[in-house]
Amino acid sequence: MSNVIRAAARRREFLAQLAGLGALAVPGRTLAQAVTPPADPAGTVPNSVVLAQKAQSFTVHSARPLTGSVTAEFHDFDVTPNDRMFVRNNLLTPDLDAAKHVLRVRGLVEKPLEIPLAQLRKMPSFTTQSMLECAGSGRAAFQPRASGTPWSPTGGMGCPTWTGVSLADVLKMAGLRAGAAHVAFSGDDFGAVATAPKVIRSVPLAKAMERHTMIVWAMNGGDLPKVHGYPLRVVVPGWVGSASIKWLSGIEVLDAPFKGTFMDDSYRIPRTPVQPGDKLPADAVTTEAWPVKSIITLPGPGDRYKVGGRLVVRGSAWAGDNDIERVDVSLDGGKTWERAKLAMRGEKYAWRRFSLEVPLNAPGEVVILARATGDRGNTQPAVSTWNPLGYFWNAIPRVGILVDKA
Amino acid sequence: MTRLSRPLASAASTALAALALSATAQETLVPGPGAELTQAKCAICHEIGYVTRAPQSRARWEEVMRVMVQRGTPVTPDEVKIITDYLATYYNPEGPSAAAQAASAQAAAAQAAADPVTQLLNRNACLGCHAVDKQVVGPAFREIATRYKADASAGVKLAQKIKAGGQGVWGQVPMPPNPGLSDAEVKLLVDWVLAQR
Repeated sequence: MSNVIRAAARRREFLAQLAGLGALAVPGRTLAQAVTPPADPAGTVPNSVVLAQKAQSFTVHSARPLTGSVTAEFHDFDVTPNDRMFVRNNLLTPDLDAAKHVLRVRGLVEKPLEIPLAQLRKMPSFTTQSMLECAGSGRAAFQPRASGTPWSPTGGMGCPTWTGVSLADVLKMAGLRAGAAHVAFSGDDFGAVATAPKVIRSVPLAKAMERHTMIVWAMNGGDLPKVHGYPLRVVVPGWVGSASIKWLSGIEVLDAPFKGTFMDDSYRIPRTPVQPGDKLPADAVTTEAWPVKSIITLPGPGDRYKVGGRLVVRGSAWAGDNDIERVDVSLDGGKTWERAKLAMRGEKYAWRRFSLEVPLNAPGEVVILARATGDRGNTQPAVSTWNPLGYFWNAIPRVGILVDKA
Repeated sequence: MTRLSRPLASAASTALAALALSATAQETLVPGPGAELTQAKCAICHEIGYVTRAPQSRARWEEVMRVMVQRGTPVTPDEVKIITDYLATYYNPEGPSAAAQAASAQAAAAQAAADPVTQLLNRNACLGCHAVDKQVVGPAFREIATRYKADASAGVKLAQKIKAGGQGVWGQVPMPPNPGLSDAEVKLLVDWVLAQR
């Protein structure tokens, strides 16, 4: 990394900190405005404790419920470290006791189970790297604005490693009964009022039985951080993050999708595009796998280089349940494209890193674009289809840099 | 390769995060008919930025309010109507009409002229969960005054509850802390609550 880039990165992190001080009246939407006094009722982890474990580049999008992420230029890692992993709570962050934690499995099963966490951890486990991304990741890029967490155009995703068991192994232990078609997950988080319903989401059985759909207790080799679901969570890789219920304590096998506000009112998109600004049509469908998407993780916006140097463009690409076939990079705002080098294929649901190195021969602005294509011929669009709740922003990312005379 | 070494994000960022979180400036809604009720109800569960940053059409606000009732907001159907009208009037993509702006100016003047206790109650979303004479989420102010009428240390206890939050006296629904209130403001509120018998 050049000193110039490092300086730019530090400047950005420093500015983010200043915004966080709150005492400074910075016009426009700043972190200071986004942060409100937190409610820290008994049994919850205060935001200050959660944020102390996050990188300086971590931007809080809302304090209640706690949501935040780092933008693409701070995601330049093969494996997302804990301090860069996005946070999206629906309710408060519960402070749970692993020693007392029990996983209950019920519904259309031969034998309902109550598995203490310690017993679950003795089952054959494995570690894999998988993508998680909030359905609303990138929402702020939609025009007109959709309500909901104002995720930056980049960020709101991460690809750490997870350790645990296949959900399928637990379901096989319980034994599926005839008619089993969906699996619902519920966690131990709670809201500010007793009337707040639990966050419960279900996935179709085929995805639930896929080997990489896991019940995990570790992230990047250590216990799950409290805000990421300690002591137990689901990981439904490649799908909208809301399917991956945190603080998991209940699994219910159903004959139909779970009925509840987090299935029927949120995480839904129209079957066909609607007029921007319209409300969700009655026949909207639930969100499942993410479409193909990429981020540029190097360079960062506004970074400066010198003529005669070399530019390394680096990023990550993923495609929900599918694989990445190729990533093309443009250094002239989309007039011409060059195929980037893809890193070796890793775990099934891991993002694919890409890179391209070019000499810098002329001064001026360089507009870098990246366009990922999946193995089904699915390619990133220039602008994502507008939808009322602002999900699945997956448009071609753009980063502008400046090349100075030598 | 890391863009930022871990030590940089150590003690300094912890202190900054704590500072940022102790900032008491909560965004407020533009004054207008229903603004106080809207602020009080919405702020129970989420910050007001969720309302202010994304103006919506009336149809979308109706939909949002329907969902918020599903999410457990303690509101009556009449209150839903007042809140929806307020949001559709002041937070729509075209902005408030001339008439709505005039009503807003009037409401702002009334707010400024309101007594200090009313201002404090409105500004801190107290009325989202409490009313004078009936239980909403938390106990009625009258019930509190009655319970503590013979308690010589009531002032100290209530001041502590308002500042630090509480749970268990009236039920298991927690009362959030209000660290931004000054001692004088807390005293004003405590005296007022205890006078509600």
